[in-house]
Amino acid sequence: MADTAPFDEMHNPDGSVREPYRVLAEWLAEQPEQALPLMQSDAEAIFRKLGITFAVYGSSEGTEKLIPFDVIPRIISAAEWRRLSKGIEQRVRALNAFLYDIYHRQEIIKAGRVPEQLILQNEAFCPEMMGLEPAQGVYAHIIGVDIVRVGPDDFYVLEDNLRTPSGVSYMLEDREAMMQLAPDLFHRSKVAPVETYPENLRRTLESVAPAGAGSSPNIVVLTPGIYNSAYFEHSFLADQMGAQLCEGPDLFVDGGKVYMRTTTGPTRVDVIYRRIDDDYLDPLTFRHDSMLGVPGLFNAYRAGNVTLVNAPGTGIADDKAVYTYVPDIIEFYLGEKSLLNNVPTYNCTDREQREWVLANIGELVVKEVHGSGGYGMLVGPTSTRAEQEEFKARILARPDNYIVQPTLALSTCPTYVNNGVAPRHVDLRPYVLVGDQVRITPGGLTRVALKEGSLVVNSSQGGGTKDTWVLED
Amino acid sequence: MTMLGRTAQNLFWMSRYVERAENIARLLEVGYRMSLTSRREGGASEHLVSMMQAAEVDEAFAAKHDQADVDTVAHFMMFDPDNPSSVHSCLQAARTNARSVRTAITSDMWQSLNAAWLEFSQIRPSDVRGAKLLGLLQWVKQRSHEFRGAMLGTILRDDGFAFSQAGSFVERADNTARILDMKYYVLLPRATMVGGELDIQQWTLILRAASAHRSYRHFYRDRYKAHNIADYLILRPEMPRSLIYCARSMSDTLDTLAEIYGQRMICHEAAEQLCAMVENTSMDTIFAHGLHEFLNEFIGRNNHVTECMSVSYNFY
Amino acid sequence: MRIAIHHRLSITPPPGTVHALMQLLLTPQSGAGQKVESWSMDMPGLDNAARFTDAYGNIMHLVNQSRPEGELVVTVDGVVETMDNHGVLGRIGGEPVPALFKRRTQLTQGNEEIFGQFKGSSVNRLDVLHRLMAAVMEALVPEDAAAEPVPEGSEPNQSMSAAGMVQKMEGMTQSGGDVLTQVAESEGASIKSLPLASEFAHQFIGAARALNIPARYVTGYLADEGGSAALHAWAEAYDDRLGWIGFDPMLQLCPTEQHVRLAAGLDAHTTQPLRAVPLGDGVRILGISVAPAA
Repeated sequence: MADTAPFDEMHNPDGSVREPYRVLAEWLAEQPEQALPLMQSDAEAIFRKLGITFAVYGSSEGTEKLIPFDVIPRIISAAEWRRLSKGIEQRVRALNAFLYDIYHRQEIIKAGRVPEQLILQNEAFCPEMMGLEPAQGVYAHIIGVDIVRVGPDDFYVLEDNLRTPSGVSYMLEDREAMMQLAPDLFHRSKVAPVETYPENLRRTLESVAPAGAGSSPNIVVLTPGIYNSAYFEHSFLADQMGAQLCEGPDLFVDGGKVYMRTTTGPTRVDVIYRRIDDDYLDPLTFRHDSMLGVPGLFNAYRAGNVTLVNAPGTGIADDKAVYTYVPDIIEFYLGEKSLLNNVPTYNCTDREQREWVLANIGELVVKEVHGSGGYGMLVGPTSTRAEQEEFKARILARPDNYIVQPTLALSTCPTYVNNGVAPRHVDLRPYVLVGDQVRITPGGLTRVALKEGSLVVNSSQGGGTKDTWVLED
Repeated sequence: MTMLGRTAQNLFWMSRYVERAENIARLLEVGYRMSLTSRREGGASEHLVSMMQAAEVDEAFAAKHDQADVDTVAHFMMFDPDNPSSVHSCLQAARTNARSVRTAITSDMWQSLNAAWLEFSQIRPSDVRGAKLLGLLQWVKQRSHEFRGAMLGTILRDDGFAFSQAGSFVERADNTARILDMKYYVLLPRATMVGGELDIQQWTLILRAASAHRSYRHFYRDRYKAHNIADYLILRPEMPRSLIYCARSMSDTLDTLAEIYGQRMICHEAAEQLCAMVENTSMDTIFAHGLHEFLNEFIGRNNHVTECMSVSYNFY
Repeated sequence: MRIAIHHRLSITPPPGTVHALMQLLLTPQSGAGQKVESWSMDMPGLDNAARFTDAYGNIMHLVNQSRPEGELVVTVDGVVETMDNHGVLGRIGGEPVPALFKRRTQLTQGNEEIFGQFKGSSVNRLDVLHRLMAAVMEALVPEDAAAEPVPEGSEPNQSMSAAGMVQKMEGMTQSGGDVLTQVAESEGASIKSLPLASEFAHQFIGAARALNIPARYVTGYLADEGGSAALHAWAEAYDDRLGWIGFDPMLQLCPTEQHVRLAAGLDAHTTQPLRAVPLGDGVRILGISVAPAA
């Protein structure tokens, strides 16, 4: 896969413009020379104004930190999106069914489709969840699926994020900025809206309220507090949904029910969109030393008096080692073939596979099982010999700590860099909401590797973001 | 929408810390001016120490420094993060409180506070000496005014506004009462009608610390008199830093909360008691019962209002 | 046998506590080996408590107290009729899948010295488990003081008492004579000292799990002839034919009619009778008596 030229989302191999990009190409051609540089500097100003909060909340010291934004939108056609979203919906339904099964009768283990050890001895497996009946049978309500494209019809899922995926506020702010920057381009294209996300989030959360909650359940967002790097997003989403933004000490459990302390006394809480990790959620059940959580919260959940979103223990479904079984999981629960591809993954604990990996490391991507953010990762084709040797040694020392995949030729999109437009590699994280129905926001967050040739799109590694347009028919 | 007890608390303290930063700047300005004009040996140091007494940080200062000179005191009051009342600590605390309730305040309020903190934290303390100190103190006051302006011009007149206002009034009342108490002895009636040079200097200090030295002239059209000064800072409702103004404003603010929530709480009673101390009385009565005792009781009752508020409205 | 149980325990939240939360696993259920005739629990705030089934099938209470002052006392009184089933409980509805109890925890890591000899053994599971019970004793107690190893196929020694066992063990472990009453004394996530019965049960469970046999930790009461023991802990292992079977590795026998089963879980941590936040100085046992009912 690494040998072939990357898929250019804008141009056909013969240089002609692909249909979804036709309007954009015309518009780009009309722009006077100085238009893009101007837009780029306007974008920064808009973000500082719109998202001054990005800059300030991003760090505790108050230093400026803006994630680079690229002014050229990434465009996906309606037909492409239909295919993609069908695949995503299939995936999140299967993963929720998997979670239900794993925390009940474990039929998939009994059937020998996933190894028992992989689930039962996994740190991400949460035994306290056994037998619990979540509202609507949903465990993972808010999901981000990391997808890369390698061809016109070839989409690969790199990773499912079922714990507390972040970045959705960037998706919303990118759209807001784009509408201000290029209203004419926006006007000429029929772009599916993303602004409905907060309302859909609210509806999703309402739909999973516990039985006794009434028609207008009280929803809160639970944040670790202002020093958390995603605090801006927490407060942004609470604000957009019209929900209270709470910290642990704002909530308490009384009679097995959850309340928040308000100026007029205790107010019952029905649904908690929590952005605190499982371990810190409740010092009575989980980490005893947690100062962030709410004592008794988990048992109130167990008693059916409150809904936690996402449920604790969803991490077992996005574990990097469980990932390789997702196609089997889809088949087992839905009786369908997986619509989206899984990236083939090599298991280093297997001697034969390990030896092959070590011999071909220069063409492979090595990831730490529990790593994230692009750290602890080797991209073979762009690595030095020394780096390759280091990772070989690491794999030999702890083969179970790494998964290895072929280097995917991530698709490229036109990107404004160094006073010109050039192709850069991108990925895509669509955001999915699962409640009484599956709601997928058209588009998602496109991350772009701004360095030429780079395949690492993480913002911590020099990546930026783009607005993602899904065209309507 | 219902308000979290913590949000109410954060709004209260956000405003309270902004007010305190301004008051500290004003106190430091007075201490600095007095120390410049003091001709007596050790006089400068005494002024600075009594100024710190008014801010209730003299003990914390003594624990860190042997000698109270302009530079050490200025640094301690402006920049020392160990001093919970330094301008540094106040601005930081105000911003932290604001950040926790980012969605309950307007972006103008946030930007004003955030910019104040970012600019302040860029300042190198070693660069601030002499005339530069006065300039910086002026800047602190301006930032406080700007924040108040941003708030008054943009915030919804709801419970959040009331909690925020309450914080300012409590802090200001406390500050004025402490300034008066620091120099109460120069305000006591005595046999001689005319104050000496030293008295005039002390009176000026009191008035300046309350930003009242010019408005006093407008109001009384008279030279400085001890009785007038006490009357102005305690009983004149026209004076926006007087005890009566603060107590009444506090009581009005709490009445607004009672209206919004449809219920009177223990803090309303506490605020009424505070008002009663300064309503329907005169300086003569206060002097007869003892100015120092009066001020101490006022400070105590003022604190009590805060305590009652935190119970009534579920602050932590 | 009808057994009357009286149990008082307490925690003292630190002064100034705004909100104290307590989680109780103090409600036995009727099943194969026992029938709960009467059971009453009392503590401040219990009327308002949430009662629900935990992840392991136990009945749990969640109790809270606002601004608690001083000691919070829990009193438990009840009568349980027990039957000797040679430890066989069978399958009970509403429980999690047995495989769950293969999960290794911090406390059930398993000792290779104990289970190593049974790896790949072709002996039937029941025999392995009985031998495992003996192996735990051998490993934890030096030979001369150890109880007679249980001969294959024979009935375990039913007359051994907990008091006798503790006496035997005195001086050999760090635990003292009142060790059995300390089962509940643990501090949140970190168990302060592993009491004797717990240690035996954990070793047995760890070894069974290492052999791919589901095994769980059980807390309960023991009506001891010597009268000194009351709170106790043992293990249960799963056999595909018989279901759950009890093993008491400390007493080297399968639970008898002296055992009253309270709760089961992955290990001592998940089955603490009383857990609290904040915990203060920990759980204190104020009084306990477990004796044949009149």
